[in-house]
Amino acid sequence: MTNPASRLSLIGVSKVFPGIRALDKVSFDVRPGEVHGLLGENGAGKSTMLNILSAVLQATEGQIVIDGQPITLTRPADARAAGIAMIHQELQHIPQLSVAQNLFLGRPLTRTGGLLVDRATQEARARAILADLDPRIDPRAPIHTLKVAQQQIVEIARALLDDAKIIAMDEPTSSLTPSEFDALAALIARLAAQGKSIIYVSHKMNEVFQVCDRATILRDGRFIDTVDLSQITEDQVIAKMVGRDILHARHVSHARPEIVMQVDNLSDGGLIHDAGFSLHKGEVLGLAGLVGSGRTELLRLIAGIDRAKTGSVTLNGKPVDLRSPRMAIRAGIGLVPEERKKDGIVRARPVSSNIALPCMGRFTRFGLVQRGKLHKESTALMKRMGMRPPDVTRAIGTFSGGNQQKAIIGRWLAADVDILLFDEPTRGIDIGAKSEIYDLIAQLAQSGKSIIVVSSELPEIIRLSDRVMVMREGTIAAILDADQISEDAIVANAIPKSKGPVPVAQALEAM
Amino acid sequence: MTDTAIPTRKAPRFNLRDAGTFLGLVLIFAVFAVLNPVFLTAPNLINILQQSSINACIALGMTFVIISGGIDLSVGPTAAVSAIVGATLMIAGVPIPLAVAGAIATGMACGLFNGALVAIAGLQPFIVTLGALSLYRALALIFTGGNPIFGIPTEFRSAINGLVMGIPVPVIIVAIIAAILWVVLNRSPLGEYILAVGGNPEAARIAGVPVARTKIIVYVLSGGLAAVAALILTGRLGAADPTMGNLWELDAIAAAAIGGASLMGGKGSVVGTLMGAVILGGLRNGLTLMNVQAFYQLLATGIIILVAMLIDRATRGRA
Repeated sequence: MTNPASRLSLIGVSKVFPGIRALDKVSFDVRPGEVHGLLGENGAGKSTMLNILSAVLQATEGQIVIDGQPITLTRPADARAAGIAMIHQELQHIPQLSVAQNLFLGRPLTRTGGLLVDRATQEARARAILADLDPRIDPRAPIHTLKVAQQQIVEIARALLDDAKIIAMDEPTSSLTPSEFDALAALIARLAAQGKSIIYVSHKMNEVFQVCDRATILRDGRFIDTVDLSQITEDQVIAKMVGRDILHARHVSHARPEIVMQVDNLSDGGLIHDAGFSLHKGEVLGLAGLVGSGRTELLRLIAGIDRAKTGSVTLNGKPVDLRSPRMAIRAGIGLVPEERKKDGIVRARPVSSNIALPCMGRFTRFGLVQRGKLHKESTALMKRMGMRPPDVTRAIGTFSGGNQQKAIIGRWLAADVDILLFDEPTRGIDIGAKSEIYDLIAQLAQSGKSIIVVSSELPEIIRLSDRVMVMREGTIAAILDADQISEDAIVANAIPKSKGPVPVAQALEAM
Repeated sequence: MTDTAIPTRKAPRFNLRDAGTFLGLVLIFAVFAVLNPVFLTAPNLINILQQSSINACIALGMTFVIISGGIDLSVGPTAAVSAIVGATLMIAGVPIPLAVAGAIATGMACGLFNGALVAIAGLQPFIVTLGALSLYRALALIFTGGNPIFGIPTEFRSAINGLVMGIPVPVIIVAIIAAILWVVLNRSPLGEYILAVGGNPEAARIAGVPVARTKIIVYVLSGGLAAVAALILTGRLGAADPTMGNLWELDAIAAAAIGGASLMGGKGSVVGTLMGAVILGGLRNGLTLMNVQAFYQLLATGIIILVAMLIDRATRGRA
């Protein structure tokens, strides 16, 4: 089973969390001097795999073998001792300290019997290592004065200082410019040539094909394939990542001709300006755009959370004043916010209370909350939505993200709003619950609710939407009808025109 | 992994935290019962309730403010201002029920001022009520020239000092208030709103909870209850003292915290706060019975508060 030529072998590695198998018997191996991509959608298990390799999490079952030796990883120090180094997406250093101090953080070189830090030697060793990587980095400079790309090189230097044999990089290019990426790619190639094994996690296909030799593809926590990237096309890899069922799930529109909401010239005096569109009964309207294009801000205006400066919103032909969430809810608009913990749930309160908040009046008689009615209705609602377990007396904070999301959606069903606004409805939700949420959105549309969905995942938006509205720099750049919807069309409209041509693939990644 | 269910026990029907407070209460009373035979007699227990009633009254209002995520440091001076208004009205010949209403309205007005600054102007509750603490005290002192108002009508005094079926009137007043507040917190929409606003104000707002109104109501409630406490004390002393209520806020916060109110907001219990007040009252009574000096009583109070919080922390887990 273990390939003698492999540096790192994972054999049947699983990670089980209560209620979810994040990794299910995953096996693959990484060779010495190889750059090995780890690919998969959000939630496929990449992060869990990296966390197991860096011993932040412990595998539930399975074996990890390095150079033919089975190893146990229980503490982060074990991973370091085994020669595994991790370069995190969020770089981890102390900004005020110097490059050399950060390099030797937690294990300083000392003199006079361990009493004093030997700065001179630290700096000399840092200089020696950095000379090989990027001689422009001054070991004495405070690290916050460095560019992100240089900070990343310091992280790599730290890995080399540890004499790591395996360097895992989690989305290393998320904040790099194209030229910085080229430099990083060259550095990775050099490290591989020296015999280091690199595990490269990214969902940017072009980079993976440029940097990696082979790649292992995960989906829903399962191993799908390890592929030789010189023998396969990008489309084939994407198909393996996404799974045909999701790509080709058929979208059925339930949109009816009557217009439920008409938005005209909406501006917030800041980012959002001249936003106008209409929403039909039973329609799912996708809202796409780059990060910072104003998608969330537009939803918040419509939900009454932030106040519009100018413009109007008309519901069923009547103008409405959306000065507060309360007024928006009364008008029939409910928001399922992106940041569930911050904006959605009251953690310590029972599910039933969280559901009832917008419509306490419905559950109140003679000034008292009708606990029995509330319990019965919210339990029925949560059973229908597949909440597990359907115990609405439990504090909502004790449920998984997917279940919390169902409760927030249930809240708006209980309040019987006509228009539901979803901001990134499947963020932080496991794959099973994700498809349930998709089905739920379709059912809601079928039952005559009108829906706006903001999502950064293009496949998600394409799968869900009847029409797709694309935002660019605070306004609606385009509204694509069903027959015009494609990733290319969305991206083409999302890119700011003033900034010159941006390759479609690169813009796609910024979404 | 944000997306994993945290396995938990099924929420029990009774309040586990209240059971803990009760256990503490029983423990402290048991110790005093062993140390002093007088402690556990009926007259002394009634005495403890009587002595605890003023703090309990203040602490109930404080509990609501704390649950909503705020704090009311101005309860003592609010009480003083209310007592002075009530006493002045009574002496001026205003019928006693009207004078009582005037005193309570004064307390509620003080609370409204605090609530408006917190909920509408958006200032921090600690600072608002710290300012109000000086402000209201100053008003009471300026109005009276620093002198107590004597000559409280005997009808009022005897009403407050009376007994109903052997139970002192203040205890009955506070018991009725507590019963009403229990229903408000646990069975009314306002209670849900208060718990939601204290638990997560932004989520509550997005869910359509009238956040500002809810916050204002709890401060008005706290001010009104401070006035009730002030009237009880005025009736017992036969005078309205402008320095009344010094450090009441600390006893009230202590009772609420012992009873399970979280200063982070979102958590608290009416029954717990009552028990917290009785624990503090029983402690003082027991130590006095044993002729322990006031300095040591203060020491014991401090220790009880900290021990209660440590036990709370340890049993609540890291959730």
